[in-house]
Amino acid sequence: MTMLQQRFPHGEPIETRRLLHEIGSEPVDGPLTLGDPRVVDFLVALAKRLLSPAVARRHPELGSLGFFLRRTELDRAIAGVSEESSRVLRFPRGTVFHVPPANVDTIFVYSWALSALAGNANVVRISSRSAGAADAVLDALNTTLETAHPAIAQTQRMVTYGRDDAVTAELSLGCDLRVIWGGDGSVTDIRRHPLRPWARDLTFPDRSSFAVLSAKSWQAATPQRKREVAIGLYNDSYWFDQAACSSPRTLYWVGDPGPAAAAQRELFELLSAVIDEKAHQVDAAMAVQKRVSTYGLAVEGAAKRVTFSGNAIATVELADPGLIPRRWLGVGTFPQARVDSLAELVRIVERRDQTVSHFGFTAEELTGFARAVAGRGVDRFVPIGDALSFASVWDGYDLLREFSKLTTVQA
Amino acid sequence: MTESPSIFAKLYAEREQDLLKELTELTAHHRQASPEYRRILEATGHEPGRSYNSVADLPWLPVRLFKHHALKSIPDDEVFKVLTSSGTTGAEVSRIYLDKEAAGVQQRMLAATMKTVIGPKRLPMLIADTKALFKNRSSFSARGAGVLGMMNFGREHVFILDEQEQPDIEAVRAFLAKHGGEPFLIFGFTFMAWLYLYELAKAEKFDLSNGLLIHSGGWKKLADQAVDNAEFRRRFAQDTGLSRIHNFYGMVEQIGTTFLEGPSGDGLYCPEFADVVVRDPQTWEEAPVGVAGVVEVVSTLPRSYPGHVLLTEDLGVVHGVDDGDWPGKRFSILGRLPRAEARGCSDTFQAVRG
Repeated sequence: MTMLQQRFPHGEPIETRRLLHEIGSEPVDGPLTLGDPRVVDFLVALAKRLLSPAVARRHPELGSLGFFLRRTELDRAIAGVSEESSRVLRFPRGTVFHVPPANVDTIFVYSWALSALAGNANVVRISSRSAGAADAVLDALNTTLETAHPAIAQTQRMVTYGRDDAVTAELSLGCDLRVIWGGDGSVTDIRRHPLRPWARDLTFPDRSSFAVLSAKSWQAATPQRKREVAIGLYNDSYWFDQAACSSPRTLYWVGDPGPAAAAQRELFELLSAVIDEKAHQVDAAMAVQKRVSTYGLAVEGAAKRVTFSGNAIATVELADPGLIPRRWLGVGTFPQARVDSLAELVRIVERRDQTVSHFGFTAEELTGFARAVAGRGVDRFVPIGDALSFASVWDGYDLLREFSKLTTVQA
Repeated sequence: MTESPSIFAKLYAEREQDLLKELTELTAHHRQASPEYRRILEATGHEPGRSYNSVADLPWLPVRLFKHHALKSIPDDEVFKVLTSSGTTGAEVSRIYLDKEAAGVQQRMLAATMKTVIGPKRLPMLIADTKALFKNRSSFSARGAGVLGMMNFGREHVFILDEQEQPDIEAVRAFLAKHGGEPFLIFGFTFMAWLYLYELAKAEKFDLSNGLLIHSGGWKKLADQAVDNAEFRRRFAQDTGLSRIHNFYGMVEQIGTTFLEGPSGDGLYCPEFADVVVRDPQTWEEAPVGVAGVVEVVSTLPRSYPGHVLLTEDLGVVHGVDDGDWPGKRFSILGRLPRAEARGCSDTFQAVRG
């Protein structure tokens, strides 16, 4: 019998069955509800800890997490799912089993926090490879627990176990909702384990993202604004080695050839300066990876031109806008193509496309593009610089709604 | 080398001129014969007819490209042999396409290289490996292929390990009783030679002083035993009498090209049809002598696939030029580049499961 290592709350190794029993029992002061004050208070206290200078300095990505968990943000999220009619009641789903990816340090916290906010009991599988920011979050969680209501420790658990299908199977059979992050392969793999008849999966498979930039707006932008865009692109692309689903890879320039080429040159000069300022180093192994992937694009006929500016930036001129590579190419690799209008991109969008980062378009233009795509792909439009900011609507799902269910009352 | 004209004879200045001319010609050949290669040259700004001032200026391909793409300069119906190599991950395999001529050339040049140290005659041969390598043809490994290739240079082969992979002390004792008094050949992968041959010979007080050891494969598996090349040579000589030792370096992507260690162990040397360029990992310019970087291997042998200028994922350093046992560049391999690993939301759970 494999024992689960308890990472939060810290505790003795525990059997899966006992864990499921404990979190399924009614806590002191009654079952958790949607927007339960016991949970809100805990999350707010956690946010304060994550936003403390000591933590934020070491792990800047935890700053964004802390921001996400502030009281005003949580209240807004709860208000967003409140039913106007008193005859529609929203309740937690029950027990939620989360399987986050091993190497995005913080996504498990967003997934868990929203599910807890919905009032669920949660089991989160933490990778044994967790490190850095993930460990810092676990520390913060455990410290915050000291002042928390006992219902938190009873119903919210984060555990680590090895390569044990039996545990995954048991947790799958014990939950009402299973949340699988981390790619097509892991989704398929976890789905081998059946759920109870009423339970279901919420899956976050492989996605890829691109950016659109208006050449005309670029020409009109102030030097300050241009620099902000370069910094935004840097943050979106280099923080997670451009491997996050929402990191833009291909950049589409919308406009006439002359201005587009000039804008492109200028953006990459600015990006290069940002990289120098941040002293961002791209090592030899990554530089080789970028050669392998970009030369590969040339072999396939997708790349017309491949250019390297140091190890940090590789640009690829696509032979056709439709030849967008959706696989990871290595950090700081930017395929580019020019189109006359956003409308030209409608045909290239696929289900796999997640985020469109944008610069220089009006809300009407973006909405028009979204309507033309009509949900075949792209779940999210954000300004360049916000690609990595997590939102409670993700991959097209309003997570608080997914984590809860409705009871209707007809008198 | 009185037996055969050495292919390690020319001074560097002399060989670079020849190499540059032949490699430039080969670049043009592959450009014409391989559309995939031509697209890489076009995308990276290497126009047709461009002249190059040095071997280091020639366009290089990252060796891993052969794991992802079929790159060949011969029509499908002339493919005589497809060589494969498993990478360290096992999942990725290089595919190297040879026509009949290329297959012949690579064997001849390997033989010419080895005969530089072995001599023209086949010698009795000890193999620091197990016969079990050949038992299961379906799992025939790169190690098996390497051993089989080297067996051509010996006769009356004896394996140091039996089919259960246990040291076969009696077989080795019998081999030495029969052949130990005359020159004999030993081949093995570096870690096998150390873990089995050295330990066995030391324990049994075997006299290997008439042996000639040829080994390859790198030091990584011996790192925890703190054995490097110098220590390897010193202890073999001290504890077994074996002092004729030649390490070599080569890869399936440049099959037939073997960089061979000089007699004194002062570095690896390039046969005249090959060269190495050590590149600075930031600027990718050639690093000066004595400065470590990423190793590029060049060879005039690859004609059936565009593998004549390859950036490896090995780190190395050139110690000197025309200043050691043999003429030409003298270099060492220092280790491997780590594999670039991305954080992100791709199939990470799989990775955890291994």
